[in-house]
Amino acid sequence: MLEGNPMQNRVYHLGRRMAGTTLLLAATALPSMAQDNAAMCPGGFGQAPQLQAMVDAGNLPPVADRLPVEPLVVQPADGIGSYGGQFIDSWGGGNVADFRQFGYDPLVRWSVDGSTVEPNIAKGWEISEDATSYTFFLREGMKWSDGQPFTADDIVFWWERVENNPKVMTGGPRGEMLNNGGKPTVTKVDDYTVTFTYEQPNGLFLQNLAGPYGQRVVMFPKHYMEQFDIDLNPEGVAEMMAEAGATDYAAWWKGNVGSYGDASQFNNPERPTLLGWIGQDSILGKERVTFVRNPYYFKVDPDCQQLPYIDERVWTLAADPEVTLLQAVQGQISMSPRNVSTPQNRAVFFDNQEAGNYHLVPATSCDYNTAVLGLSVNHPDPIKAEVFGSKDFRAGLSHAINRQEIIDTVYLGQGEPFQPAPLPGSPFYNEALAKEFTEFDLAKAAEYLDKIVPMGPDGVRLGPDGKPFSFAIDINADFRPDTVDAYQLIERTWKQVGLDVTINFHSDELFGNARARPDSDGAVWVGENGCGQLPLVNLGRFMNDYGYWSLGNWSGWAAWDIKRLNPDAELPEGWTPVEPPANVQRLYELRSIIPTTVGEEQAALMGEFTDLLAEEFLTIGIATPAGFYRSVKNEVHNVPESLIEGWLYPGPAPINFETLYIAQ
Amino acid sequence: MGHFMLRRMLYALPALIAVSIISFLVISIPPGDFITRTAELRAAQGDIMPLAEQEAMRRAYGLDQPIPLQYWNWITGIVTRGDFGYSFAFNLPVKDVIWPRMGLTIVLSLASLLFIWAVAIPIGIYSAVRRYTVGDYVATFLGFLGLAVPNFLLALAAMYIAFAGFGLSVGGLFSPEYVEAPWSWERVVDLLGHLWLPMIVLGTAGTASVIRIIRANLIDELHKPYVTAARAKGKGEFALLMKYPVRHALNPFVSGQNDIFVDIVSGGTIVAIVMGLQTTGPLLLDALRTQDMYMAASFILMLSVLVVLGTLLSDLLLAWLDPRIRYQQG
Repeated sequence: MLEGNPMQNRVYHLGRRMAGTTLLLAATALPSMAQDNAAMCPGGFGQAPQLQAMVDAGNLPPVADRLPVEPLVVQPADGIGSYGGQFIDSWGGGNVADFRQFGYDPLVRWSVDGSTVEPNIAKGWEISEDATSYTFFLREGMKWSDGQPFTADDIVFWWERVENNPKVMTGGPRGEMLNNGGKPTVTKVDDYTVTFTYEQPNGLFLQNLAGPYGQRVVMFPKHYMEQFDIDLNPEGVAEMMAEAGATDYAAWWKGNVGSYGDASQFNNPERPTLLGWIGQDSILGKERVTFVRNPYYFKVDPDCQQLPYIDERVWTLAADPEVTLLQAVQGQISMSPRNVSTPQNRAVFFDNQEAGNYHLVPATSCDYNTAVLGLSVNHPDPIKAEVFGSKDFRAGLSHAINRQEIIDTVYLGQGEPFQPAPLPGSPFYNEALAKEFTEFDLAKAAEYLDKIVPMGPDGVRLGPDGKPFSFAIDINADFRPDTVDAYQLIERTWKQVGLDVTINFHSDELFGNARARPDSDGAVWVGENGCGQLPLVNLGRFMNDYGYWSLGNWSGWAAWDIKRLNPDAELPEGWTPVEPPANVQRLYELRSIIPTTVGEEQAALMGEFTDLLAEEFLTIGIATPAGFYRSVKNEVHNVPESLIEGWLYPGPAPINFETLYIAQ
Repeated sequence: MGHFMLRRMLYALPALIAVSIISFLVISIPPGDFITRTAELRAAQGDIMPLAEQEAMRRAYGLDQPIPLQYWNWITGIVTRGDFGYSFAFNLPVKDVIWPRMGLTIVLSLASLLFIWAVAIPIGIYSAVRRYTVGDYVATFLGFLGLAVPNFLLALAAMYIAFAGFGLSVGGLFSPEYVEAPWSWERVVDLLGHLWLPMIVLGTAGTASVIRIIRANLIDELHKPYVTAARAKGKGEFALLMKYPVRHALNPFVSGQNDIFVDIVSGGTIVAIVMGLQTTGPLLLDALRTQDMYMAASFILMLSVLVVLGTLLSDLLLAWLDPRIRYQQG
């Protein structure tokens, strides 16, 4: 596609080998010299008949003028498609993750298989030798969905007037944009070149941009958004706020403009977008929502036809998962959503394939564990803090879990015993960490437990203070119902080794409070973002420190880390620093350092990180998640042979929905 | 009568004030708020919300203020401007969320009420007059069945039968092409085509209890001397039945209709959720689950006002139906 253009390739080595693929981040540098896109497709571009009719009627510029000089050529999974049809999704009513099948067109993106970061809106990039400066080359002639040009000014506007505007982002820029706490300077070099410069090397910037939060960079058309900026348009904003009865600007902005993650981001059909389909009406409170093809979308297929193929994306509301399931097996929706595509529903889906006219496409999960247990290492009760902080206790608990039985009965035979660790196939896979203490052995469990909670005279284990030791685990019964079944089995084997344990099952509404209680003994959650390179941008989760969020009380160590990074930092209410053991201190240090390194150095530090995790064994896992799938209507083509579920890889959105087509 | 009405309305005032405070407290007291709930829901999607962002949202929504102040702002808005506050989840004023759904809710509720009355009153009368006949036993059996089977189960079963047996589309009150379409004759026809299933499901339990009430009361009345007297005077059997004992038998039924408005607004919540109906019931449940507090509190307040109004109305209706009550109340 870039033939004839002067092109320079610089290759940046950013990691070790992964699953047979060399992890390379290619950077195409130097903007194209071409003046128009005629040379690329001498036969001209194809477009949807509806758009052709509008062009013929004089209501729309010709397709060659709507496309950038260098459109992105997307290779469809199977072959060239045809225009038309609807793609129907089920949704719960307006939350971002219901849009995990929509809205993924960041500056740079994950490849379909999730192994590398690829050009998307940026046609290329250049990274300085020391990885402090990232220069992105935009596509000349690229336009927003209202026909206005998309340029470096839009990105600078986002950085200055949104991300760094305390009046809308009152907490400052999101962590994904920072590097070890430091902000970049964002400079417009020319209309189609923009540079992000950090003080320290940033080894993870591309991965962070390719994740869901990277979408923020390219969703603020300056020419349209200026009217919502209270400093640029004070009277206009005051009027709009008065009309909405709003008093607080930040709340009004969040509710009416919004960024990635806010339901309002798709609620305004007037808002120009770079995505493949654009809204027709507001969406909040609606039962059925239709988005239509963006006539200015910047991608084409190898036959020079403008994408997307599919005319309309439709979301149909189903408040109850059972209704969603019925809709899916009836073949009313094009691709089943994640919440019903569970191993437990597989039989229902399988049986109705013919009647519903769909088939099942297997999906691998990026989750690194089905259920992760974190214990309160900073429990306010010193006895409990001592026990939960003991690796022997955790090892004992882990040996007393019959993982194979859980896999056979709860997970229908899918998956393997696993601890919270990068998945096999990830360049950061560490077998010692993944497999330690996974063997079911009650004798070994007793041996470990005896070191910290010795068996008392009447068959109940005693704490270090000589009194009977009991603890409780909080579980969200609605989030992943399989966790309930798994922990019922675990409770039985734990009691066999003399542990006095209570498992508390909470509804979704109450779990948050139970988990956040300072004296919660421990809680269970799924482990996310463990495949490919994702562990790199997910170090905190492996340490059970997600920011303010943790399983069990971890606030003492988290507070220690906050103070380590910035002695003047204000701590959240009720947090007191507790100095962690030396290994954990080093883990926290690594969490700060790894993002600022690249190449071999980064790989070596990741090795140290996982080795230390293995030595400390902070959290307890059960198994690798497996057996996932999606139902896809038979009429839908170009869906890859297998899908990836994830969050930082926001699967399945990166499968190029614009290349899917409906067979007529 | 006017005096009686006025006094009843005055009594209602302190009740309403207490109700408004309680409904606000009910929402505010549990630990956590809309923001913590949002953060938990985001976490379930993989998205951990930074603490700073949560604090900022809390400030923006005014949730960092003390509860009495929040209550005062809310209630003065209602009393002075008719402003029920803001729904965080929908990012719209509460009234803009509730009213559009009210129309369909009322249609559905009235349809099922009419269904109940049309089916239950004649059957109730029949099974009282023809006591211990085969017809009575069949009606009684079906009635108890209707009472015993939970509505949502019936809804699930009906939906499955509609899907497996007849291949009908399930969920919702409209076919896809009419869901967000403007009103038209075709849309009304489409609505009627979908309305009958939830109407029957919502109506079955109600039908059963009304049958039992009418039957029991009518049996008490049928053997009273005034009936014998009227019969002795040669009054036709059907006219006699309708004019005297049935009118008496309706008394408890009418006084039991004081929660009719509440049923109309929030009735059949679980059925509506299971069947994916765009009525107000699921809104209330969602508001409670997400701690969307102005929405939930306003909803509870409205329901309480409707209970008070309904009670007033059923009192008046009863006074009109039964002269004895009129005289006692002065």
